[in-house]
Amino acid sequence: MIQLTATPASTLVDDPVHIRATGLPPFQIVILQATLEDEKGNLFHSQAYYKASEAGEVDLECAPSLGGDYVGVHPMGLFWSLKAEKFLTKLVKRDVMNSPFLVQIKLYDSNLPLAQIATTAPKVSVTLERWYTAPGVTRIQVHEGHLRGVLFLPPGEGRFPGVIDLFGDIGGLIEYRASLLASHGFAALALAYCNYEDLPLRPEKIDLEYFKEAVNFLLRHPKVLGPGVGIVSISKGAEIGLSMAIHLKQVTATVLINGPNFVFSVPQVYHGQISHPLYFSPQLVSIDSLGLAQFQYCFEEARSKASETFFLPIEKAQGHFLFIVGEDDKSINSKAYAEQATERLRRNGKNNWTLLSYPGAGHMLEPPYSPLCYASKLSKFHLFMCWGGEVTPHAAAQEHSWKEIQKFLRKHLVPVVTSQL
Amino acid sequence: MFQLTATPASALADEPVHIRVTGLTPLQIVTLTASLKDEKGYVFQSQAFYRANEVGELDLTQASSFGGDYVGVHPMGLFWSLKPRKAFRRLLKQDVMNSPFWVTLNVYDSVFLQVSTTDQPKASQMVQRWFSGPGVQRVQIREGRVRGALFLPPGEGPFPGIMDLFGGRGGLVEFRASLLASHGFAVLALAYFGYEDLPAELGEIDLEYFEEAANLLLAHPKIQPPGIGLFSVSKGAEIALAMACFLKQVVATVCINGTNAIYEFPLRYKDLVITPIPTFLERLQFDALGAGRLRHYRGNARDELNQKSVLPIEKAQGPILFIVGESDECLNSKDCAEQALEQLRSHGKNNGRMLVYPGAGHLIEPPYTPLCYASPQSNFSRLLLWGGEPVAHAAAQEHSWGEIQKFFREHLTETRRKL
Repeated sequence: MIQLTATPASTLVDDPVHIRATGLPPFQIVILQATLEDEKGNLFHSQAYYKASEAGEVDLECAPSLGGDYVGVHPMGLFWSLKAEKFLTKLVKRDVMNSPFLVQIKLYDSNLPLAQIATTAPKVSVTLERWYTAPGVTRIQVHEGHLRGVLFLPPGEGRFPGVIDLFGDIGGLIEYRASLLASHGFAALALAYCNYEDLPLRPEKIDLEYFKEAVNFLLRHPKVLGPGVGIVSISKGAEIGLSMAIHLKQVTATVLINGPNFVFSVPQVYHGQISHPLYFSPQLVSIDSLGLAQFQYCFEEARSKASETFFLPIEKAQGHFLFIVGEDDKSINSKAYAEQATERLRRNGKNNWTLLSYPGAGHMLEPPYSPLCYASKLSKFHLFMCWGGEVTPHAAAQEHSWKEIQKFLRKHLVPVVTSQL
Repeated sequence: MFQLTATPASALADEPVHIRVTGLTPLQIVTLTASLKDEKGYVFQSQAFYRANEVGELDLTQASSFGGDYVGVHPMGLFWSLKPRKAFRRLLKQDVMNSPFWVTLNVYDSVFLQVSTTDQPKASQMVQRWFSGPGVQRVQIREGRVRGALFLPPGEGPFPGIMDLFGGRGGLVEFRASLLASHGFAVLALAYFGYEDLPAELGEIDLEYFEEAANLLLAHPKIQPPGIGLFSVSKGAEIALAMACFLKQVVATVCINGTNAIYEFPLRYKDLVITPIPTFLERLQFDALGAGRLRHYRGNARDELNQKSVLPIEKAQGPILFIVGESDECLNSKDCAEQALEQLRSHGKNNGRMLVYPGAGHLIEPPYTPLCYASPQSNFSRLLLWGGEPVAHAAAQEHSWGEIQKFFREHLTETRRKL
């Protein structure tokens, strides 16, 4: 009798799952499929083809996938290779507290024509719960002063290292990374800065005063451990994160994922000082055969003409930096910008940084097992934005970098208690 | 004051348009865009950045685009680089008789990628792109088992007869047949599944159905005997090659990106059954977009075990023209065409020829059709990769269309002279 097990059945979305099928005819080729429906009803699916062992087993910890959405031994491949049925739709969890994503793992005979899978019942299936918050995490809507966002606190007594979580200029509020950080012991503030509640849709400038307010808010909070805070930031968020690290001495640990070392689109202001942006050159955007727009080199003309003052004075920052670079990022010239920033630190005799560069990883580096978002539509462009990334190396980069991010934050935010002896 | 002219303003979709802009300041930079809405209301757009010359003029037959959807001198670039707003939607005209595609051409006085609804073009021009010429007649065919549409050129005739076969997309695709009819051929666009009362899905190929269609075409008073041409792509080309092998009614065959053997489903003709070369599920791989590259998934016709599936092309009479896109991601069409030609040569025959287009993909269509690099194939909810590099693919479409018409004119009227 064919059996399919997947454990743990209910866990955090960044926890791996062990999938095994037993009772299969020896050496039979089977199709394993994962399906998920997001909160808007969009369907996501992935497939892999496995050959049962002589004992009639397929154990994803050791069996290689022969084809489908990934090949090779990848125990979590069915999760990170999920594809949207409505092309180029990104998987995003909105409600991170009250419901998990339900993922169904299904097993089919390989004799079944692929076109019929959608309408045929699987031989066997299991349903898994993938949660974005650990039990006991609390979510607090933040509406203090100008601040708009959500604070996630870990369960239990005591104080926790504080982290501000910043996403890109698509705006709105993305909560799942902060909720996961809180599930790992950080007081994480998911901070919105545009296109959310009463914040402007497209701000004409970025005022660092707002982000300073966020830092102070966090450090004032009774459950936040001081004296410093950390930042986890990506894309436009990383431009802001870098400026925060430079100007705000309470920022002691800054994670910059695929971000620029200069200001782009709109100026930044702080205490009357203006940091002018570099502008992109439309003719440097390349549109590929699929109609996907790659913006990676669109600042090259501006960068080559810009004087040193346009690049953010990273050497003034007092805290530590962790640069995370996806080498296959097609939207931002991430590797070049990070190298220019670290070169500047080196020239100034600083060694307060680590650079993790991942070949094959794209722009959208997310928590582990998140499906690669290779391209998606930004409402402000009629073209599809290509984010880049190759499925398998991108997944490996997500797993590795997530651990490194947590290690880095703990190292620089949690004071080491030294013996007084 | 900007002026944008595009001539001819109304033409067949396979005719070029001459676009010029005047009244610009010398060396001024502009953005040219094209947009159209297909019959379901989906928008397709393209853009290119140009610099005016010293007298403030721009002529797309000479000027070089420096960015946008294409770079370089491409007079028809705005047409063949049209991209859908709905991801991977293929541009395909359904009603080929009663309406054209209306393409709006706009010029803006700066370089920008995002044209919002508030931006006003400095000049605008609309052109009509028709899929049938004046006087072309469309006749719905529902005789016996045969389902399709026959396009007849204006006039008494008789005209050389051609059967047009598309691929695994199914249904009835008419635009190529209607365009060819506008150039003096009588063309039957034939459906074989997914249309009216035909089988809903692709399955076993019954060559007698296609023979019935060939006989129907030849029996028509406006079609010139004694034989017909076949114009085919993809799965249609596999069928057309089989027809050329077994049916005397076929006297000239064009196969675009087809196979030289039977794949997926068996082919049956009277007592003869050709079993297909098997496909290997475990070799199928999907890329970062979830698109499948079928090229490696198919078994190889060169394998010893697969010889019984290879078509006996040496039995075909009349010339065969293989049109091959080297960047075809759906199948290794170059290898298939080479195998077919080798087989002809080994039987002392020289009635086969191939045109290989580097950079062209699977879906080689009439000129100025936007490249469809990948699209969903009916029930298969994944994308299938067709391949192709936009500039090379556009050039291949232009060149091959001329070659195909020359081929049919030469070999279909030749048979008349032989009588």
